Amino acid sequence: MSGLAPIDTITVLAIVAKAAGTGAALLAMGSVLFTVIFASYADASVLRLARRIAIGAAVAGLVVLALRFGIRAARISGMGFEGAVDPMMLGFVWQSPLGDAAIWRGLGEVSVLAVLIPGLGRWIAVAGSFAIAGSFAQIGHSLGDPRGALAIALVIHILAAALWIGALAPLHRAVGVARGAGLLHHFGKVALYGVAVLVATGFALAWMLVGTLLALVSTAYGLGLLVKVLIVCGLLGIAALNKLWLVPALGAGRPGAKRALRRSISVEMIAVVLILLATASLTTVTTPPVNL
Amino acid sequence: MIRFVFLAFVLAIPPAFAAAHSKSAGTTPADGATVAEVSELSMQFDAPMRIISVTLSAADGDIPIERETGTDPVTVFRATPLQDLAPGSYRLDWRGMAADGHPMQGSFSFTKSK
Repeated sequence: MSGLAPIDTITVLAIVAKAAGTGAALLAMGSVLFTVIFASYADASVLRLARRIAIGAAVAGLVVLALRFGIRAARISGMGFEGAVDPMMLGFVWQSPLGDAAIWRGLGEVSVLAVLIPGLGRWIAVAGSFAIAGSFAQIGHSLGDPRGALAIALVIHILAAALWIGALAPLHRAVGVARGAGLLHHFGKVALYGVAVLVATGFALAWMLVGTLLALVSTAYGLGLLVKVLIVCGLLGIAALNKLWLVPALGAGRPGAKRALRRSISVEMIAVVLILLATASLTTVTTPPVNL
Repeated sequence: MIRFVFLAFVLAIPPAFAAAHSKSAGTTPADGATVAEVSELSMQFDAPMRIISVTLSAADGDIPIERETGTDPVTVFRATPLQDLAPGSYRLDWRGMAADGHPMQGSFSFTKSK
């Protein structure tokens, strides 16, 4: 298989850490965006949950960021896990694009903590969310050419994904509270645009990084991307089911609608974890066909 | 149908984008080559690559080598074996970091003839 790097224990650890770091970053950004966009539709308890998740995700994100530095130092050193604490290796990682990205992501995640401060704090957290989104364009495959187009497409893609992922737990909570059906209905309308943006930017990124249909089916990166897209299609199916059937059923007060919708949102959360793992694998052990 | 044909057409055109990862652009000795003399081990990359660890190994263990190139990012890496190589098969393994921060590793093999 062309463009697949050898996979050892440290590489598996790198994939899991990257997925966790991305998940934490998306949750932190998405929860903050949720509290801003749906402030007038959501119940106080739902907004409180979103703020709590933003804090938890930002703290987890900072911890994982430190771990990823060690894991990368170990991977480049050839010394195994000893390399994780080797000052010279850590210095190399700090000088690399991961160092630049870490500054943006770290500052962003610290700024997200301001979501607890009433008034101005929320806007500091929003600025932090954009800094986190920007950090994704500082590193990895988006550093290729055309740099500008890749960076813009990726940042928008990340923000759209964050909006969706950050809304899952608050929406799950909203199913059982007053005004919940109204919030879910409104989210469905906003999500339509979000999904359109997510798919369009995903398609643009795929075209820039994969390039041809042949590369999509004949390289490790292409096949990995297909797996990711398959899971995304499943997720879109569940989202459509919620929007067209379960949310209206909840609004109409049909028996069993609450339980069905909660279960459906839980399945969405599992799909998100699988997508994060697929994406992390894709960007850790495979080389985009345009770089082969 | 027209839309589908247009889409297929767009997908069939490979975009001419440059690489973000540095990749190997050749080695001395060449990978898989049989050579009579090994005075120098070198690797060329199409973009700067930081070579961090490098090991030359034979069937009966590692051969000490002297790096001429430090750990700064380079497009040409050079090293010399510290002893005369006996006839046999050798492999050079390296690890490092591409210009975009991606951990990279690779290897090439050659045979020293009698």
